[in-house]
Amino acid sequence: MNLKELYQEIILEHGKNPRNLRKTENFNKDAEGKNPLCGDNVHIYLKLNNHRKVEDISFEGSGCAISMASASIMTDLIKGRSDNEAREIIEDFLGMIKENPELKSNILKEDDKTKLMCLSGVKQYPMRVKCATLSWHTLVSAMENDGKEVSTES
Amino acid sequence: MNIDTIKKEFPIFDEKIQNNDLVYLDSANSSQKPKIVIDRINEFYTKQFSNVGRSVHYLAVAATNLYENTRTSVQKYINAKDKNEIVFTKGATEALNLVANTLGQKYLQEGDEIILTELEHHSNYVPWHYLRKSKNIKINFAEINEDGEVPIENIEKIITPKTKIIAINHLSNVTGAILPIKEITQLAHSKGIIVVVDGCQGAPHLKLDMQELDCDFYAISCHKMYGPTGLGILYGKKKWLEELPPYQGGGGMIKEVKKDKITYGDLPNKYEAGTMATAQVIAFDQSIRFLESIGIENIIKHEKDLIEYGQDILRRNNSVKLIGKPKNKGGVLSFTIEGVHPHDIATILDEDGVAIRAGHHCCQILHDKLEIPASARASIGVYNTKNDFDQLNESINKCKKIFDLK
Repeated sequence: MNLKELYQEIILEHGKNPRNLRKTENFNKDAEGKNPLCGDNVHIYLKLNNHRKVEDISFEGSGCAISMASASIMTDLIKGRSDNEAREIIEDFLGMIKENPELKSNILKEDDKTKLMCLSGVKQYPMRVKCATLSWHTLVSAMENDGKEVSTES
Repeated sequence: MNIDTIKKEFPIFDEKIQNNDLVYLDSANSSQKPKIVIDRINEFYTKQFSNVGRSVHYLAVAATNLYENTRTSVQKYINAKDKNEIVFTKGATEALNLVANTLGQKYLQEGDEIILTELEHHSNYVPWHYLRKSKNIKINFAEINEDGEVPIENIEKIITPKTKIIAINHLSNVTGAILPIKEITQLAHSKGIIVVVDGCQGAPHLKLDMQELDCDFYAISCHKMYGPTGLGILYGKKKWLEELPPYQGGGGMIKEVKKDKITYGDLPNKYEAGTMATAQVIAFDQSIRFLESIGIENIIKHEKDLIEYGQDILRRNNSVKLIGKPKNKGGVLSFTIEGVHPHDIATILDEDGVAIRAGHHCCQILHDKLEIPASARASIGVYNTKNDFDQLNESINKCKKIFDLK
């Protein structure tokens, strides 16, 4: 176990000053995610334009440094992507947290990958994996916009 | 038994946890187990095992006697009038579900009201919530004051002619407030209201005297009381347990079963359907002996001194905000640190072998009221020492350093 790997500078910085922590005006897709074990919650707002491009993405909620940083980095990386690209990034990130040692997607730049890999420290803390993945699962739900609430315990 | 050397009775403290000595501050969640309890489980399975209350062979009779001995020990420990007022359950949660379910069936009518407090654990709220739908009853919450207590006036003012039950915790698992059960019971009984006590946190740390408290039901969690998991106890006044219907049906709880008619067994069998947690019940006798060998007065004094010491240390730590300051307080210290989420606190403390709990501690109503999503909680048992709080404080300072707090 290594706390320094978990609480890297980038995470602490994003945790303290989360990007896109607001509510998108005129959002057309959204979803709420909750972790019933700790009470953490996140609400993701998306504005997809006619060309299926993410014009804006934002989030509201409260949680630990890991979950806030994860939502912050995620929204930064997803903004401006097509929905197919967004899906590829989500799948790549969740795959990395679950089992893959590295990110595989070619559409991510190296420094984007570095940011995302900062969250890989949670792999050593099984109870904290959900903190890193809640906002990503909630984004999937928002994109499908099936109105279902995401729970980490389902 | 000397309380200063009590830690030696708990084998887990000989273990290194991730290369650290264990600083266990999570006893409100579950207590560690003394060697005599662990050994008793082993001994029973090794040399004496049989199911109880059914067969007539030697082992079955001996096991049944041991099982019933625990019932008698519990009866004496909590000063119940009759041993049949002690019902074993799979936990305090089941005990509270049993009460809510059977009172709901037999006693409550549409429109009746139940009073809970804002301090209640989900296990003393959700079972009553079920009755909102099935019976159309109403639940009213007695409010906490700014010290995290529920003064009796806050209960009294929401009693109406329709109030049938007051269900309250003895000791809050978040603020540590000890509720004046005896006075609440006197008030309730003067108006014909039943009192159900969630004693999960009270039972391991306070003197239990059912005659003095005079409540109608009292639920106990054995694993918080230096006993095995999978076991709870429901104390219920005999008149209620006799009058209320059975909870679960199955073997062991019946008198006679015909194709067209079933009659139920006498107390306490009526409420103990199926094979019970036999080894746990038998080992719990040792938990009672362990508590008695220290003496509850000594435990109360030790834990009071310790929690005052812990409070003083954390109060001096300028980033720490303690939750509640009840005048009558048990061994629970909940806190927040401005700028650090409780889950991050818990992970960082864990690196030093300091085990605390972070989250809403199954008290979302209370956390909503306090307008915080979660809190960190350090809670004590007989084995804790002042050194544990010194280490807690040191690890909190490490937390502050990582998060760059002053």
